[in-house]
Amino acid sequence: MIPAQFDYVVPSSLDEAVALLAQHQDEAKILAGGHSLIPAMKLRLAQPQLLIDIGRLKDLTYVREEDGQLRIGALTTHYELESSARLRDLCPLLAACAGSIGDVQVRNKGTIGGSLAHADPAADWPAAVLALDAELVAASANGERTIKATDFFVDMLTTALQPGEILREIRVPLAAARTSQAYLKMPHPASGFAVVGVAVNLARQGDACQAVAVGITGVAAKAYRAAGVEQALTGGALDEQTIANASAHAADNVDLNDDLFASADYRRHLAQVYTRRAIAEAAKR
Amino acid sequence: MKIEGTHELRAARARVYAALVDPAVLARCIPGCERLEQTGEHAYAATLRAGVGAIKGLFTGNVRLEDMRPPEHYRIVVDGRGQPGFLKGAGDLDLAERDGVTVIKYAGDVQVGGTIAGVGQRMIQGAAKMMAAQFFTALEAEAQAAPEEPPPRHNFFRLALRWLSGRLQRLFQRRPQSS
Repeated sequence: MIPAQFDYVVPSSLDEAVALLAQHQDEAKILAGGHSLIPAMKLRLAQPQLLIDIGRLKDLTYVREEDGQLRIGALTTHYELESSARLRDLCPLLAACAGSIGDVQVRNKGTIGGSLAHADPAADWPAAVLALDAELVAASANGERTIKATDFFVDMLTTALQPGEILREIRVPLAAARTSQAYLKMPHPASGFAVVGVAVNLARQGDACQAVAVGITGVAAKAYRAAGVEQALTGGALDEQTIANASAHAADNVDLNDDLFASADYRRHLAQVYTRRAIAEAAKR
Repeated sequence: MKIEGTHELRAARARVYAALVDPAVLARCIPGCERLEQTGEHAYAATLRAGVGAIKGLFTGNVRLEDMRPPEHYRIVVDGRGQPGFLKGAGDLDLAERDGVTVIKYAGDVQVGGTIAGVGQRMIQGAAKMMAAQFFTALEAEAQAAPEEPPPRHNFFRLALRWLSGRLQRLFQRRPQSS
């Protein structure tokens, strides 16, 4: 449990961090909260030659409203998001998702940006940002670009971030956020990671579903939007039967994960059940 | 752990098979392959730098091809170990041709042990699928190239682009100083 030798730098600004990253590229890893990278390094599954510790850049820790968007700094910890009364009011899905992550130690140190950039196939945040149609802002030595959440997750542990880029901010459109929401997961009993995690963002019109977005994590190599569920539910009534019928599509056209804890068939079943429960919970709000 | 899948390659079956048993081609196509040396008839020693995202490890091992029935079948037997753990397994590859497209079906059983199995178990299958997809994509390009053509260099285009953009950048940087 002792990592291989590495160098360590603490940049004093994001500009300095991206300059360092541009200089070292593949040899370097960005350290944020360190709750994925450090364990991997201790097991020597990851052996970066240089750690660029952005964890002390306090100006990347914030939640604010701007231009009709909720803007979250990449270094905001899970705990800060879980405990923000404003966030629970504005976008309860984000607060619920934050509160369901790992344990209190992980939530105190782990960051939303670090988790998203790592793109663990069973992490909670990917489901939430997908369901909220969020945008992710990446900074590099060449400036900034905005990536849609639906384009961000490429494959297991692989994102659209280029080697020189650092995830700086998460933007959630507030119009989309002011709806009925829920995040429901079945945590792995040992790790707390999502065996299945379902984020629902629902817009109601009376008792009918005007629009719905469903993000699912833990089920496949990357988190995805359950298009089949969304199509089946949009425009329909929010009764038990319609929700159950729509939820049957939760794992359509998906290459399911299969491991010692949960087989592919069991995961499909869990995805359907948790989707049904999450939509029913969102519909109550 | 069972690993299975199907890939479609837009190339003739005989060409795909020839590529699949050519160590030079394999060395170019296997993701992270740093060394592939022949140690006997259809037997090779390999060094791989394999991994996904931040998780990477160096593996050394042996590969043997058996039960070869060109152009439709062979069996591949691998065993390897590295810092993150060890793996041992065998798999069957079956090639079928359909309208000029070669369909490769692979099915294998692999045992993985050590650190990677202890903490990465839930990701091993995903990583294997990802590497298989990379391998078959590179193999398709190899099989499509005409025999007399030099082999496609998978990184050549990227290298050329990087070189070009480096030159351009230097050019642009120089301009303001000279004016």
